[in-house]
Amino acid sequence: MNFLDMRWDIVWDYREFYINGLWVTIILTICGYLGGIVLGLLLGLGKTSKKRWIYWPCKLYVDLFRGTPMLVQILIIHLAFIPAVFGQSFGFLVSGIIALILNSAAYNAEIIRAGIESIDKGQMEAARSLGLTERQAMRKIVLPQAFRRMIPPLGNEFIALLKDSSLVTVIAANDILYAAKVVAGAYQRFWEPYLVAAIMYLVLTYVVTKLIAYVEKRFSIHYNPRKKREERVAT
Amino acid sequence: MIKVDNLHKTYGKLEVLKGINYEVHEKEVVCVIGPSGSGKSTFLRCINLLEEITDGAIYINGVMVNDPKTNINEIRTEVGMVFQQFNLFPHMTVIENITMAPMLIRKMGKKDGENLALELLDKVGLKEKAYNYPEQLSGGQQQRVAIARALAMKPKVMLFDEPTSALDPEMVKEVLDVMKQLAVEGMTMVVVTHEMGFAREVADRVVFMDGGYIVEQGNPEQLFHHPQNERTKAFLGKVL
Ligand SMILES: Nc1ncnc2c1ncn2[C@@H]1O[C@H](COP(=O)(O)OP(=O)(O)OP(=O)(O)O)[C@@H](O)[C@H]1O
Ligand SMILES: [Mg+2]
Repeated sequence: MNFLDMRWDIVWDYREFYINGLWVTIILTICGYLGGIVLGLLLGLGKTSKKRWIYWPCKLYVDLFRGTPMLVQILIIHLAFIPAVFGQSFGFLVSGIIALILNSAAYNAEIIRAGIESIDKGQMEAARSLGLTERQAMRKIVLPQAFRRMIPPLGNEFIALLKDSSLVTVIAANDILYAAKVVAGAYQRFWEPYLVAAIMYLVLTYVVTKLIAYVEKRFSIHYNPRKKREERVAT
Repeated sequence: MIKVDNLHKTYGKLEVLKGINYEVHEKEVVCVIGPSGSGKSTFLRCINLLEEITDGAIYINGVMVNDPKTNINEIRTEVGMVFQQFNLFPHMTVIENITMAPMLIRKMGKKDGENLALELLDKVGLKEKAYNYPEQLSGGQQQRVAIARALAMKPKVMLFDEPTSALDPEMVKEVLDVMKQLAVEGMTMVVVTHEMGFAREVADRVVFMDGGYIVEQGNPEQLFHHPQNERTKAFLGKVL
């Protein structure tokens, strides 16, 4: 094949597929990620629990989802789990989001657990000795500090999820990769459609990387609401 | 005020406290001394239930703290604690460190909380540091903030676990001075310390612990100058 003989017009003809795919990928990733954070927080807290009946189910969940391929999880959720529980399918988007939530929650749980456990236990003790309940101490003292340490790995998780979201094409979700497959199938040409898809993912991950860097800076201890406050006090 | 009745504490198979009986009266300053590993910290931490009690009982103002029906959080608001490692909250300014608990638990308003905090900071000589973060303070300053933080809940008793052991020598005095001031004002205090000078000067009673027991106790004069027990004599011979 001649590299100079690219036919970008065929991609252009299918631009609506790509744009639609872009939205599907973004929605899948954002919903999956936010849900994965919430569920991951519960699981992560559960894994720091001393109560066995809380700890073990959480550990089992995390091990199960980290120990199996996401592709398999997506298929089981879409083809077996959802029809079995609800008696019908709600389409690829619902299945895809659920799969991404359940999967990323397992990874987030580990990050959140590690973040919580990295905070010196003197912090919890100091808070408890003032009379805070365990929940109050967690919310006011431990989690805000742990959160800062979680930002970089949670950011990586976001990027990983963005890329892994392409696996939902296996249940015919019309995401970015799906658009490429359609074009490839229609023209029996592979460079153009897949390169365009790759570039779209690349741009997305680039944007997300920048976003994470910003959040990281915003929440670092050395970022300065402090400076502003000091200045306010000084004047 | 604090009554400790046959207190036992074990970690797994290791018995750290082997039956402690003691009573701290109101406005009394009690210093606890003893070799490393003798169970001083464990004893102190049992008082506000930071450690679970294996056997025995502790009463604060007549309330049994290790009764499952007791609201331990409520008890803890009346028992201030100061740690060797300060344990200030690094993500909060000095003033936020102090106002957090009164505002959250006592539902104190922001303005009242800040006034209280500034008053307490004035007392420990750190009013000008109110809006700094802990990491911008020296060890001695951090420990004084930690004392102010504990006082903000208006506790009836203050527990100190080696409050000056993590400090550079030149900062020890500023913290001890604050504690002396508290003692003068009539605060009930239990202080685990290696500062024998402080114990001699400020304590009403000194307790010597070794091997999980209270071996000997008495007023500073008795304990430091006329110790009865051989182990007390040996320990004092080493540290004095
Ligand atoms: N969480 C724990 N798990 C197991 N053993 C512990 C724990 N905490 C303390 N110990 C043990 O209990 C014993 C008493 O410890 P404790 O900290 O009360 O001594 P201490 O008198 O305060 O000593 P130091 O002067 O070194 O602070 C030590 O042998 C210690 O190793
Ligand atoms: Mg100790």
